[in-house]
Amino acid sequence: MKLAAKLTISLLAGAVLGLGLTWATVFRGTLGTSSDIRNGPWRTDLSIGSKASGAYMRASVAVHGLLALNRSETLYFTALTDSAGNAFDPACTYRVSGNDPRARWWSITAYAADDYLIPNPAGIYSVSKNSVRHDAAGHFSATVSRSAAPVNWIPVDDGGFSLTIRFYNPDPSVVADPAHADLPTIEKVHC
Amino acid sequence: MNALKNWGGWIVLTLAVAALVHIGSVWAVPRVIMARAMSRLGTVNEIHHGKRPDATARGVVRPSPDLLYSVCPFDLSPAPLHVRASVPRDTYWSVSAFDAATNNFYVRNDSQIRRAVDFYMVGPGTDLTRVPKDARIVKSPSNKGLVLFRTLVDEEDREDDIDADRRKATCAAAPG
Repeated sequence: MKLAAKLTISLLAGAVLGLGLTWATVFRGTLGTSSDIRNGPWRTDLSIGSKASGAYMRASVAVHGLLALNRSETLYFTALTDSAGNAFDPACTYRVSGNDPRARWWSITAYAADDYLIPNPAGIYSVSKNSVRHDAAGHFSATVSRSAAPVNWIPVDDGGFSLTIRFYNPDPSVVADPAHADLPTIEKVHC
Repeated sequence: MNALKNWGGWIVLTLAVAALVHIGSVWAVPRVIMARAMSRLGTVNEIHHGKRPDATARGVVRPSPDLLYSVCPFDLSPAPLHVRASVPRDTYWSVSAFDAATNNFYVRNDSQIRRAVDFYMVGPGTDLTRVPKDARIVKSPSNKGLVLFRTLVDEEDREDDIDADRRKATCAAAPG
């Protein structure tokens, strides 16, 4: 084979390999899921939005969570699985339950695989500190499902989805130790 | 060229190209995405008030459906950016700024700013003579980026009032 042809093949193969690696490390997954900080099914990264974040985290946040705020203002926890570690199945119904996240304001929002809000006839996209209904003990239980639930419903559709908890002005204890913060559990109810 | 006379040399060359392309693309991704977002969000040095995000929103990924966003893409090379807004009462509000590499280099919220925010943002190439004396200055690491206002709709029946209030915010290049 002539040298020019070999050189072309080598450069092309290198470019494809390099871009493939970028896709695998940056574009795959969603906000925070490349992070090492885990709390049950939830993952976060304290460097989101910060100049201290590495090149990979900065690129991943640009793809999956552009304009995310830094940890002093907001913490974002994202889940792609239930608490048993099984990937979300849109055919199933999930219960997200626990205590109110320790923050000045919080919300739990479902996003489609393309990182946008999920269309639904009710026009509901989240459960938040302002909209949530508590039980007599002060706990909450939200339902993530395709079919409507009477209270605290987070609708999804037939596609894949993820859940994000936003902690606006998080309690300092959450920022100090996000791996042990009191976060809701995610339980598969039925399929 | 002796190194390219066997397969080992070609493999090393291919891996070296792969590493360079990978490092370069990881570096470029946030900058390209930010530049695209800035052009999509509107004219620079003007404020744009988005409607409340729903499933049709495509401006920025993973928007919060509970917030109203107002955005001001900026280019500080010709002049400082003058940012002014009054802080709403009884609901979460923040003003933040992001550089061309997507870093969040500035953020203040309603519990830190009681009544109003009023500052001049300057970049590495900004003409500082256009900043009034005694004005509050915020330094941006890059000449391009954007300022983002978030306002929480804490009660659905207050949305119209909150929306009207946040539309009073302004950002504009400082006059020469």
